[in-house]
Amino acid sequence: MFELFDNLALGFSVAASLKNLWLCFLGCMIGTLIGVLPGVGPVATISMLLPITFGIDPIGALIMLAGIYYGAQYGGSTTAILVNIPGEATSVVTALDGHQMAKQGRAGVALGVAAIGSFIAGTFATLVIAALAVPLTKLALLFRPADYFALMVLGLMLAVVLARGSLPKALAMIIVGVLLSTVGRDLVTGDERLTFGWGEIDDGLDFAVIAMGLFGFAEILRNLETPESRDVVHQKIGRLLPNWVDLRQAAMPVVRGTGIGAFLGLLPGNGAVLGPFASYTIEKKLADDPSRFGQGAIEGVAGPESANNAGAQTAFIPMLTLGVPPNAVMALMIGAMTIHNLVPGPEILTKQPKLFWGMIASMWIGNLMLLIINLPLIGLWVRLLKVPYRLLFPSIVLFCCIGIYSVNNNPVDVYLTAAFGLFGYILIKLDMEPAPLLLGFVLGRLLEEKLRQALAISQGDYWTFIHHGKAAVMLAIALLALVVALMPMMRRSRDKVFAE
Amino acid sequence: MQTASTTPDSGTRLSRDLLAGLLLIAFGLAAYVGLFDLPTRDGGNVGPGLVPKISAALIGALGVVIAITGFLPSAERLQRGTWRGPIFVLGAVIMFAMSVRTLGLAVAGPLAVIVSAFADKDSRPVEVLVFAAIMSVGCIALFKYALRLPIPLAPFLIGY
Repeated sequence: MFELFDNLALGFSVAASLKNLWLCFLGCMIGTLIGVLPGVGPVATISMLLPITFGIDPIGALIMLAGIYYGAQYGGSTTAILVNIPGEATSVVTALDGHQMAKQGRAGVALGVAAIGSFIAGTFATLVIAALAVPLTKLALLFRPADYFALMVLGLMLAVVLARGSLPKALAMIIVGVLLSTVGRDLVTGDERLTFGWGEIDDGLDFAVIAMGLFGFAEILRNLETPESRDVVHQKIGRLLPNWVDLRQAAMPVVRGTGIGAFLGLLPGNGAVLGPFASYTIEKKLADDPSRFGQGAIEGVAGPESANNAGAQTAFIPMLTLGVPPNAVMALMIGAMTIHNLVPGPEILTKQPKLFWGMIASMWIGNLMLLIINLPLIGLWVRLLKVPYRLLFPSIVLFCCIGIYSVNNNPVDVYLTAAFGLFGYILIKLDMEPAPLLLGFVLGRLLEEKLRQALAISQGDYWTFIHHGKAAVMLAIALLALVVALMPMMRRSRDKVFAE
Repeated sequence: MQTASTTPDSGTRLSRDLLAGLLLIAFGLAAYVGLFDLPTRDGGNVGPGLVPKISAALIGALGVVIAITGFLPSAERLQRGTWRGPIFVLGAVIMFAMSVRTLGLAVAGPLAVIVSAFADKDSRPVEVLVFAAIMSVGCIALFKYALRLPIPLAPFLIGY
């Protein structure tokens, strides 16, 4: 217990340095600024802003990126409440009652409750991360390569099972990601793989190239095809601080939402997305008058927003301790760490405790900053919401171009990103979500490395994965998850055939 | 934004899943051909070909499954897209890549903004020009001066 506070104290001593506070503030600010723009979700925001952290030291860069992430999340909620365009899946639920509240002239209260709920959830989630970090890291350090391989397979499989849409498509996307990660010179044997003789990709495909192609450019192309209907509220924003009645109504939903979100956020795949939905359903079930939901019930904003933020933060746990990203945002964080020559996984905590705890402490500071800076700036966000998309997307194009060029100061990267933009657009047209691809790409190299190590230890014996207790259990769970997920799908499609 | 091409009944007769499956099959096959010479074993160890070859094979196999679901009566049709978006947005990116080293950000920047703006047929020329100038100045200030990234500014004019 005391160890926990010692660790947090170390973290705050790092995060509270003037420079890191400034970076955290800057990250939150810019993240909100971009995240508030309609049609720009957290993943797009982070991939776009990745390059501005290149020149900063690793700890500062990660603090800033985490700030950008919370800012983008919070910006997305603001958009959901004021415009009824959820920036990302996680704010869909907020839009239901939040936008109704805004139409009734209570936008300020909705935003205020969202901010306060998010802050409480963020505080709790920070403590959860701090408490779970050490035991999980100790567990991970006991893992042999075979166990690690099994863990990654399990993580990817759960990500597939919990993803939206078609299961075979999500699985295929992950494996395409793994395949793309093998492009370039093999690190062990030196053989060229899938370069087709082109020297420029000898070192492999750059993570930023894929992220910005798929989430920067392809998103723009997707948005350009959907007719825009913005429903910016014309009503007054109203007072920001909720009164006692509001607070009493919101209190328990915040507590429940925090718990649900913190737990679901730990799960791979769309765990963090499930949180707000689960919270909304529960609040509606528990309400005395469920018909108020959808008509501007404050509980319908407070619960899901808390769940959203708690989940957004606990998603860091598997990424930081095990090196397994549970969703696309965390895959981006891993990519960012790799750019700064940090290898995500248990070694971060053991070898770089300052960085680890500094980042965790900065999470709480970031949440506090969001609460302080966001509410007074709502007028600014409202004005930003009125920027038309026809001006927005050329700016994103320019930003991404400069960003990709700056990764290696090489125009070839920019060409490659254009190619991935086209690839992503085709994927979207064919109803294949590109997010799992990024997960597969980020984990691919580690997956291969651990497979190699495991088989080198076992002298080529593939049964090593079964003989090792931990590895066998994890692979069995992965298989079970796949089978369970396949069953209702088979049933449903069969039902459809019968119905014809 | 786009309107005419995305009216509700703009579906083609092509099955979306069938195309997705075929794309994956082609992707897997192409990768497998490209990997053909790489050994899956390296003495007693895993060879450089193992993981990519298994991946390519799985992608192809999943492609077959997805293509088959494309024949189900419930399969969704492909929605008609527009080439305007990809051509101008990605064209702008390519032009940026071609010009950034020689002409610098001072030219490549506005070029990218102006060309990509054509992707939206409702864009207004004067507005775009003014906006391109503002954005470029902003980006030069941010990336070149505030963040000190070594991106060329206008090499043909001022030498850096």
